[in-house]
Amino acid sequence: MSNEARTPRYELADVQPGYVIIEREMYSKAARSYFSTEPVPPKEPYREGSQVWSFWEMAQSFRFAVRDNTTGEVVKFDELLGLLYYASCDPDSDLYRIGELALENRIFIYVAITYEAPDGSRLNISMDKLAILNRAFNQRLRTAEKKILILPDYFGLYNEMSYGQVMLDFGLTAMEEKAASPSKEGAR
Amino acid sequence: MKLHEIADKLELEKLTPVFDKEVTGVYISDMVSDVIANAKAGNLLVTVQVHANALAAANLVDVCGIVVAQGKRPADDVVRMAVKAEISVFATELSRWQVATKLYEAGLR
Repeated sequence: MSNEARTPRYELADVQPGYVIIEREMYSKAARSYFSTEPVPPKEPYREGSQVWSFWEMAQSFRFAVRDNTTGEVVKFDELLGLLYYASCDPDSDLYRIGELALENRIFIYVAITYEAPDGSRLNISMDKLAILNRAFNQRLRTAEKKILILPDYFGLYNEMSYGQVMLDFGLTAMEEKAASPSKEGAR
Repeated sequence: MKLHEIADKLELEKLTPVFDKEVTGVYISDMVSDVIANAKAGNLLVTVQVHANALAAANLVDVCGIVVAQGKRPADDVVRMAVKAEISVFATELSRWQVATKLYEAGLR
């Protein structure tokens, strides 16, 4: 029996189209994001203590779960903002250098970037869930010897990246060569 | 059907070397999130999307190649990324609809 004929163990499930809404704080210029299924984000600035947050930009994206067809278990990935491909990073960065080393063994590195928590920290994604995510994407591959490795953000990329580096659809289709989005510089 | 056969039949411009793979189907989309969610390994991706994230998504789901339609051209750094990932990238002046029609005529379903 061919691989195509078998039901895959892992499948993306409960795929929910929506939007990553990015807000910016008026004074510090800090940025933060959240997922919304509503196409119209709140445009009015609002106050949180001494901070004033307002809508900055939005990108089309999706939220999903992974179903394990052998157990029926469905694991949600609501904390996942998106994946960042190592090659989208600065060639002088540690991640890029590690990515190039891994590439020699046909391993392609992505980093799981999570949403911000209300206190400004990052939401956690457990190693168990990352293992499931890695299995799900690797199971989809056809090219021999190719592997996908999705890592947690051990690199603190969220402090330096722009949202345009994460695999999101800015604008309607983000056909510009470099997606414009607020930098995280000085965000915290 | 192999990628080089399709490239020849549609007279596609080769922006990378042809990493010849079996084409299992076609997926037409300009959205990174849509490609991640719905494209299948071995699909030929037809798009006008030239952002590096499109290449990152194509690599994640293991498409066999990318046809950039409507005269769009990815930047050199995106082409270099594609070569490293061994994903063939082609360019054409044809619209996505014209590409789809020709792929169907070529026998892809």
